[in-house]
Amino acid sequence: MTMIRTPIILLTTLVLLTGHLQQQACAHGGVVEEDDLCVIKVNYLRGHFKIFQPRRTGHEDYCEDLPSATETVFIMEYLHESLADAAVDFRIIHDVTGKGRFARWEDVAEIEDLQGATVFYREPSIDPDVLSVVHEFTEEGEYIGIVTANVDGEHQIYRAVFPFEVGFTGYGYWPLFIVLLLAIQVQYFIMSGRFAHWRDGRKPRDRNIRASSLLLVLTVPMMWSGKSSADAAGEWVSARGIYEVSFESSLVPIEINRIHSWTLHVTAHGQAVTDAVLSVVGGMPAHDHGLPTRPRVTEELGDGDYRLEGMRFHMRGDWEVAITIEADGKTDTVLVLLSL
Amino acid sequence: MVGSGVVLTSLIVLMLAWMQLRPAGPETWTDAEIDILRSLWIESLPPAPRDPSNAVADDPLAAEFGQHLFFEPRLSGTGTISCATCHQPERRFTDGLAKGQGIGMSKRNTPSIIGAAHSPWLYWDGRKDNLWSQALSPLEDPAEHGGKREQYAAFIASESSYREMYEAVFGKFPALSGSPAVDEVFTNIGKSIAAYERLLLPGRSRFDDYVAAVVAGEHKPHAALFSDDEVMGLRLFIGEANCTQCHNGPLMTNHEFHNTGVISFPGEVPDKGRVAGVREVLADPFNCRGEFSDAAVADCAELEFARTGAELIGAFRTPSLRNLENTAPYMHKGQIETLAEVLQHYNEAPLAMIGHNETKPLRLGRRELRQLEAFLDTLSAPPATADKWLTRPTRELAHNGREN
Repeated sequence: MTMIRTPIILLTTLVLLTGHLQQQACAHGGVVEEDDLCVIKVNYLRGHFKIFQPRRTGHEDYCEDLPSATETVFIMEYLHESLADAAVDFRIIHDVTGKGRFARWEDVAEIEDLQGATVFYREPSIDPDVLSVVHEFTEEGEYIGIVTANVDGEHQIYRAVFPFEVGFTGYGYWPLFIVLLLAIQVQYFIMSGRFAHWRDGRKPRDRNIRASSLLLVLTVPMMWSGKSSADAAGEWVSARGIYEVSFESSLVPIEINRIHSWTLHVTAHGQAVTDAVLSVVGGMPAHDHGLPTRPRVTEELGDGDYRLEGMRFHMRGDWEVAITIEADGKTDTVLVLLSL
Repeated sequence: MVGSGVVLTSLIVLMLAWMQLRPAGPETWTDAEIDILRSLWIESLPPAPRDPSNAVADDPLAAEFGQHLFFEPRLSGTGTISCATCHQPERRFTDGLAKGQGIGMSKRNTPSIIGAAHSPWLYWDGRKDNLWSQALSPLEDPAEHGGKREQYAAFIASESSYREMYEAVFGKFPALSGSPAVDEVFTNIGKSIAAYERLLLPGRSRFDDYVAAVVAGEHKPHAALFSDDEVMGLRLFIGEANCTQCHNGPLMTNHEFHNTGVISFPGEVPDKGRVAGVREVLADPFNCRGEFSDAAVADCAELEFARTGAELIGAFRTPSLRNLENTAPYMHKGQIETLAEVLQHYNEAPLAMIGHNETKPLRLGRRELRQLEAFLDTLSAPPATADKWLTRPTRELAHNGREN
């Protein structure tokens, strides 16, 4: 009985503890881990937060605590657009609140000599793409980071306060976690009867492995044959069958890395479509990227012809160009497949 | 005795098996592969695209004047820095440093100029869209040449040989009474330097000789031209290593911007790259659409249809791979010193500090990385440019250098 009870007590403690920490972070802007992503909450404005120590640990990223006193780069990528227009300042202070991990803005506000406690300060500035600051820590210890965003239009000040440690002085909750995991594992092993199996020298066998490998054998050829062949010539029909599009390129054959234009011919059941609004996006699905340019229809030439300018492809391989056509209140998209 | 006999026999069997099973001779290329090789070949390089923004881009007199200006240290605040201070002809127009060193330290690594006329964008972040406005930018950068356009215009006016060359290209030298005249002379300095730089083109490397032999259908051309490792490296380059996704065409660059997760320079925040560069070029008074350009707006398609947005965070221009042997250190701030380390970087495809690393880990073995490196070393060649353009012109040439 004691064997079962101990993990339950441990589990309860842990749930209570993490629950408390979560609450801390949510109520007052801070840094939290969400779905494997480190998120900074500047009140309701959210950003993706990463910390690097590039000279010591290269590309390894940290969410809060840092292994050593060295050059440190703090990065905030915006998940909320308002942060891109906000004047944001960034301050790092010695933790003189005595609250450690539980320090909040209220505690920071009470510090009399904030300037004296400050080890790094970056003046407010607007960084439209990403915020990054670099600071070389000279000593290990407990610090507090304070990010202040001034969202101009609303004259609102938003803050994130995140206590962190430079140079680990303890292991935090990790030992507790490991002990707990081990205890649960051992208990499961014994209770599930696997221990008995193992003792009898028999290994439970998973039939699903066979089933899934059969599935794989079946799907691979299907995917293969499903791959569409692509050709620049010909006519392309829109997804819902409303429009047909053919095109002529000013560059024949289409080469990579050269900007050129297309003349699109748009018809609906063979009839030329005029006064249509066309928009074009494209990319390489296999490589997860779009066109290197932002092409646009610049002129209607009459008789269902439209000039599409700014086309350029920067890799060989399979490309998709999606042309959305809107005319007479009917919208449909044509997917042109090209193999370069 | 029996034991050693068994060991010996096993060894012989293993060796025979290895000889049978090792990859078939690397020298056979499929038609599709030959097509890719041909696309990388120097012979496939078309003439540099014309530059409608520069009316004197292909004027030989402008190129000659530009050559003088390129090597002229008096085009600087201190009288000590010329374009050739960083773009040294003997280092294939780079300087061997992590970052350029003019009056102070510049922001990024000095790129080569060879083949630059083919690129729609200049600088690592593409903040310039033509060669002549790029050439003007360092002249006024306090960390580079550190002078002012007024000073440069007055210098050309006072130096009779330069004034003469200027007038041969652009007509009467204007009275330097106001800023429009100064801007005009300043712009023409850039346009002349650009005309010179357009002559700096990549030469035929050992790789190009190899492709010529393959295209001609020679049997086993590699025996004389390429080692097995170099051929295998080339095979990886156009195949498994995915290099030609970005390093394509005869210059081995798509002239585009990509985030490949290169680490920040010591003491600096990560460089934002193209996302900021595209903003700069769109607002630049010296761009293709600006008042100093000779182009019609219709000629400025690259600028007109330039892509912007968050996916360009931390993205930099794909550099040419020609002349890697002479252009270390590598990357936008010279963060990586050797080619082997660059390949290791792409093999790992680490997390980008800002934005997203577009590359994926290659998981190549050490031997394969060595083969790739061996191949990349075959891409070096002196520029396909007459020697007289590769050194500082003599004074005599300044006065009667019309022989060509």
